[in-house]
Amino acid sequence: MEKKQINLLVALQDLDMMIEEISEMKRLGFNTEREDELLKARHDLSAKIKKPLLFSYEKLKKRYKRAIVPVKEDNTCLGCFIKLPTSLSSIGRTDSEVIYCEGCGRILYWLT
Amino acid sequence: MNNEELTNYFDEQLFLPDLMATSKDELFVELVDQFVKVKYLKNRDIVLEMLRQRENLGSTGIGKNVAIPHGRTTSAQDIMIAFGKSRQGIEYDAIDNKPVHLIFMIIAPPQDQSNMYLPILGKMVEILNKAKNRNKLLEAETYSEFIEIISRG
Repeated sequence: MEKKQINLLVALQDLDMMIEEISEMKRLGFNTEREDELLKARHDLSAKIKKPLLFSYEKLKKRYKRAIVPVKEDNTCLGCFIKLPTSLSSIGRTDSEVIYCEGCGRILYWLT
Repeated sequence: MNNEELTNYFDEQLFLPDLMATSKDELFVELVDQFVKVKYLKNRDIVLEMLRQRENLGSTGIGKNVAIPHGRTTSAQDIMIAFGKSRQGIEYDAIDNKPVHLIFMIIAPPQDQSNMYLPILGKMVEILNKAKNRNKLLEAETYSEFIEIISRG
């Protein structure tokens, strides 16, 4: 259940990053004419995420540029660069729970 | 960003000089699967979704037989560029409606400390705007030939 939710949240952040950089893409000469489609996709995706988790993501976004950060192979949070406890990593790798960094509070996403 | 620096973001394992794909979606799958195979990406479905959403915003087919599908994803750890060449050409809904033969897929993490993603994209556009580079890339068969063209750009 959580696995699906964390994946939806990651997809939401990917969309948010794309929306943030639209003006830069335009400047580089890329076609960005269908911005409305992206905003609609964001709206639809948000509706699939549980309210408390979405609230937590939106709140973190006000504090940090990225609310979800990848965890490196050596168990380092790529948001604040603290080393995470091994016990946390074994749970995190399964994507079975939404896990927050003990150092910075960001949502963690294991890449391995 | 100079051309030499740009070559650091390529990898021989992400060099596909003879793509099998015949459509845009097959192309994305072929390239993303290669990223996953060489362990640059964890979740192929999330990355494919991101790339498809990016295409919904507007085609990354920049014309003159070139496409630069790109995006940031939480599923990536480092910036990497895959290169693919299609001999038969792929219908891509490019701005000039021509099929694409040269494809550069750029995948970046949510935050890169030195913030190289946009300079890399800009440099790629600059290199690919030159007809002589595009022609040479169409002829390149090996990774070393390819890197030589990028480094001289």
